[in-house]
Amino acid sequence: MKIVLARIDDRLIHGQVATVWSKATNCQRIIVCDDEVAKDKIRATLLKQVAPAGIKSHVVDLAKAVRVYNNPKYENDRCLLLFTNPTSVLYLVEHGVPIKSVNIGGMSFREGKHQITSAVSVDDKDIAAFQKLNEMGIELEIRKIDTDKKQNLMDVLK
Amino acid sequence: MFAILVGTHGRFSEELVKSCEMICGEQKNVRAVTLVPGEGPDDVVRKYEAAIEELDCTDGVLFLNDLFGGSPYNAACRLVISNEAYGIVTGVNLPMLIEMCSLQMMDDKSLTIQDIMAKAIEAGKSGLQVFHASQIAEDEEDDL
Repeated sequence: MKIVLARIDDRLIHGQVATVWSKATNCQRIIVCDDEVAKDKIRATLLKQVAPAGIKSHVVDLAKAVRVYNNPKYENDRCLLLFTNPTSVLYLVEHGVPIKSVNIGGMSFREGKHQITSAVSVDDKDIAAFQKLNEMGIELEIRKIDTDKKQNLMDVLK
Repeated sequence: MFAILVGTHGRFSEELVKSCEMICGEQKNVRAVTLVPGEGPDDVVRKYEAAIEELDCTDGVLFLNDLFGGSPYNAACRLVISNEAYGIVTGVNLPMLIEMCSLQMMDDKSLTIQDIMAKAIEAGKSGLQVFHASQIAEDEEDDL
């Protein structure tokens, strides 16, 4: 699998992803990697049917995401990986998926979260995962769409 | 680059451009033109002309209107009839506008205004989709 983009966006497939990122990355598949979403049959079904024309969308749990990554059948497929949180990204990285850069598009505010930019809110668990990813030398960049200027997440995490 | 002028009855055009910007970010070479109650086609022509003055229209102007035969459309016709680099597409919707903004960003000089108009029509049509519970098929072969 060729990972053309790893993005954290808890809206998952929505306007910015379906129209802007799918084109900018020229991906063939959009793979939502999330244990909770994979368990939620209605949400998973709806996500599968909003794939942009010509692109297949999938919803898998994290263990399966690792298996799919290692499956030679998808060796040449250009894939956009979508996550709802950095802990899921960390799981994939710790299980050998070579993600070099993570795009943070949107993490919505909830009770107990701390807002760090207009589009990104984090809790302690998110911060711990981001710190680990950062220590591994993985780029963490905040951008809603591809033409935005990259903002380093670690700079605003203070 | 070609310019995009969205001309509609009421503030629809302004809001449509704002909605588009939620998805595509700020659009510098796109202008919303409104026809508000009390105004006529002459007012709209003046607004179009003012926008054309300000925007980069090197590769033409694409008018996206809400209603075929409506005043914003009729006003656009007056400008389009005497300039072959201009064109109008009616029935503007958000998928069409988004597609035109991303096409504009690519700045492909080989495209004529007619090519651009054809792409607008295609995008507007493919934005019309339906969803009903009966469509959900258990097509497991699509799974990874």
